[in-house]
Amino acid sequence: MQIIQTDVVIIGGGGAGLRAAIAAAEADPECRIALLSKVYPMRSHTVAAEGGAAAVTLPEDSLEQHFQDTVAGSDWLADQDVVDYFVSHAYQELVQLERWGCPWSRKADGTVQVRRFGGMKTERTWFAADKTGFHILHTLFQTSLKYPNIQRFDEFFVLDLLVAEQQVAGVLAMQLSTGELFHIQAKSVVLATGGAGRVFHYNTNGGIVTGDGMALAYRHGVALRDMEFVQYHPTGLPGSGILITEACRGESGVLLNKDGYRYLQDYGLGPETPLGQPENKCMELGPRDKLSQAFWHEQQKGRTGDYQGHAVVYLDLRHLGCDKLNERLPFICDLAKSYVNVDPQHQLIPIRPAVHYTMGGIQTDVQCHTAIQGLYAAGECASVGLHGANRLGSNSLTELLVFGKVAGMEAARHARQSRAVPEAALKAQCQEQLQQLQARFGERQKDTVAGLRREMTMAMEQGCGIYRDAAGMQQCLDTLQALKQRYQQLKVGDRSKVFNYELLQHYELGFGLDVAEAMCASALARRESRGSHQRLDAGMNSRNDSDYLQHSLASYQADGSARISYQQVNITKSAPAARLYGAAQSKEA
Amino acid sequence: MEKTLSIVRYNPELDSQPHSQSYQVPVDNSTSVLDALLYIQEQLDPTLAFRWSCRMAICGSCSVMVNGIPKLGCKTFLRDYGDEVLLEPLAHFATEKDLVPDINVFLQHLQQVKPYLINPEQSEQPHKQSPQQLAKYRKFANCINCGLCYSACPQFGLNPEFLGPAALTLAQRYNLDSRDQGKAERMPELNGKNGVWGCTFVGFCSDVCPKHLDPAAAVNQGKVASATDFVISMFKP
Amino acid sequence: MTEQKVNSSSTPKPYHSELSAFWWLKHRYYLLYMLREATVLPLLFFLGCLMYGLYSLSQSEQHWLGFVAFMQQGWVIALNLLAFVASLFHAKTFFELFPRVMPLAPAALMIAGQWLATLGVATVLFLMLGAG
Repeated sequence: MQIIQTDVVIIGGGGAGLRAAIAAAEADPECRIALLSKVYPMRSHTVAAEGGAAAVTLPEDSLEQHFQDTVAGSDWLADQDVVDYFVSHAYQELVQLERWGCPWSRKADGTVQVRRFGGMKTERTWFAADKTGFHILHTLFQTSLKYPNIQRFDEFFVLDLLVAEQQVAGVLAMQLSTGELFHIQAKSVVLATGGAGRVFHYNTNGGIVTGDGMALAYRHGVALRDMEFVQYHPTGLPGSGILITEACRGESGVLLNKDGYRYLQDYGLGPETPLGQPENKCMELGPRDKLSQAFWHEQQKGRTGDYQGHAVVYLDLRHLGCDKLNERLPFICDLAKSYVNVDPQHQLIPIRPAVHYTMGGIQTDVQCHTAIQGLYAAGECASVGLHGANRLGSNSLTELLVFGKVAGMEAARHARQSRAVPEAALKAQCQEQLQQLQARFGERQKDTVAGLRREMTMAMEQGCGIYRDAAGMQQCLDTLQALKQRYQQLKVGDRSKVFNYELLQHYELGFGLDVAEAMCASALARRESRGSHQRLDAGMNSRNDSDYLQHSLASYQADGSARISYQQVNITKSAPAARLYGAAQSKEA
Repeated sequence: MEKTLSIVRYNPELDSQPHSQSYQVPVDNSTSVLDALLYIQEQLDPTLAFRWSCRMAICGSCSVMVNGIPKLGCKTFLRDYGDEVLLEPLAHFATEKDLVPDINVFLQHLQQVKPYLINPEQSEQPHKQSPQQLAKYRKFANCINCGLCYSACPQFGLNPEFLGPAALTLAQRYNLDSRDQGKAERMPELNGKNGVWGCTFVGFCSDVCPKHLDPAAAVNQGKVASATDFVISMFKP
Repeated sequence: MTEQKVNSSSTPKPYHSELSAFWWLKHRYYLLYMLREATVLPLLFFLGCLMYGLYSLSQSEQHWLGFVAFMQQGWVIALNLLAFVASLFHAKTFFELFPRVMPLAPAALMIAGQWLATLGVATVLFLMLGAG
């Protein structure tokens, strides 16, 4: 085992991790930063974000409006001090990215162009064509190359956090190319490992989005917060789940059922807006939870079409015309052609909801601190309290930047002040992990990693989908617990050291099972409907503020199961009210 | 329908030479090479090593040689091939295992060209940049770092020190950016013996680029810049 | 940013394959490239002829007649024809590459422009020869 000494370890090389690394490097040029990622940073899933990043930009817009949209979008489950901090730091972060070279799309006068996005009252979404996440990630990665104090550990997989006396002291990681273990000592650790969409079967996420960081923190006693809130993106490609950006609708794309009817007007989002004239927060520009729920209802009514055995509705972009499609949505045209053989200029794109984003995550405060001293979390793996029960599109790319920076600066600050943790305690932890690693190898039995993973993802799909009920969730929870038992006996047959993907996936599955259980247990405990968590059970199909205007906290128990408790939501200025979209909101205003 | 995938495998802990192994995979009209590899790993042989993540041709992980041509696995469909398909690790890179190439040399080359905006000016407002100025470099900013162009480039194959298509394209991307002032810092690397003049305009890199960046054009635009730079330097005291 | 280098003797070695001297036979694209590069060979022969002719001109009439006789041989004509075709092929590839390197106008326009210019220069030269 190699031992490496450093000051700050950042786990994850996506948007949040890179932003944190740069922030730490700039905060303290003496600070030694180790950036660990299980893939090369530019492979991180930030790369797949398409639509854009939100910040108040136009003169007619205001921080207050962005705040209101985000809080209402969250179904009042966002912490309002956090939202305040977020909206007021959003613009400067997008400008910072511009100063680092991000190729934001422009208006003719050379200023930055903004586009409409779902649930946003005003145009405030910055974009780089329809590859915004790609450009943000590459800009950050390339910029990070400037800083000599950022040391990269590409294709290193973290097996465990090293924690003693409630203080983090580093990580134990495996270098995938050699199978060698590294004990990396650090005073601060930032988790920036992304979401856990891969615990569901149909999702827009890359194969790497397995919830590793969430499980790492969870197993050390840090609560996972609001895990029941899983966002279904309304427009994924059938089967693969490949993402078709919300920007399509921002650019005036419309959704049709199999009869060619714009069905969203039946679900509190109407009246129908004229083709080519979208209105903010109306029809197709409603929030993602409402749109995915509308799909479910259409499916119940038998008004969805069929694409190779998948129920679908249709995204119509034909009226945008060739030039606009090429300028604003070139990647979407390419994806539609490659993966469903559709030319959006002339044909409808079949789409259906797919799991996209985990609103919940590792509980942190507004400064990204977790319950463990020196341990921080940022980005999708964290629950800083921004998204509540439903995230608005284009808030998450900005979140990576705003809170990635906070986490990096805090980690660097903490590293300067912190004292060393006793070596002995860490050695024992490393030894234990080493034994656990050895115990994973053995003769393959009937169960395989891929087989168990499939059972997990299908169970989540059935029990924790767009609409949920007690029986379904209970069954899902039982299945997950049974899978965890079987997981204990699951062996890795491949004993090779170099790029042992069977071993890697074995670890990922273990992490995923813990995260999935936290999701399901949190969902079962929330006996109301709010945002993306919708229940069919009698008496639970509407919001219940008197009992559930609270964050759920899933805590890891010694026996491996999740215990659920609740935490007050921080409400500063916006009292809970009805969430209104379409005509209803304008009446209200 | 089934097709036979013949995969060149190499396990550095056991093998001294790569060898090929065949697998039968079910295929339909939408099966990509990546889908087939995942099928093999999940159903037939969990020891098969390859990189992948996004499945939508944007993360650049799943590069592989398909019948001798560098391709993205997720964007190459078996419907376009015969009954037997040969998969090999990316050419011109060392192979770590099976279909996993060692791309560290590529990352070093990227770093060598200083691929970031160099501009000491501080401001809290964005630069202005017209759509025309953006259009000058935008295409070259779309590189996903998949490495296919390095596998297509015989000059890189002959001389791994050659900076190669993607790195030189990225240099050109920043040199063309109206916000950048770092060209003078990048030119020595581009003028050097492993810089733009190592390219002989074979042009295959542009052919295999999954994002149609035309790296060969970028590199040769770099030659024009390098020549201009040389002429100007002759007249400088 | 620096990258982690790990030195350990037990690490298994990646497999390096050498590029053979016949790499250019591997596929059509490389073969076409080599063909483009090889156009220089017949052109060298043509240049040699040209030099020989100029030299003969500066010598005696006898010498010049010797040169003309040499040029009239079948194989010399064949080689010069080959050089002509090679130069056209090279021009074609060059004209197509040029707009990508110096994107001054739409590529098709630039390619057409270059062919027109070539034709123009050739015509003028022929007319001058005829007039002479």
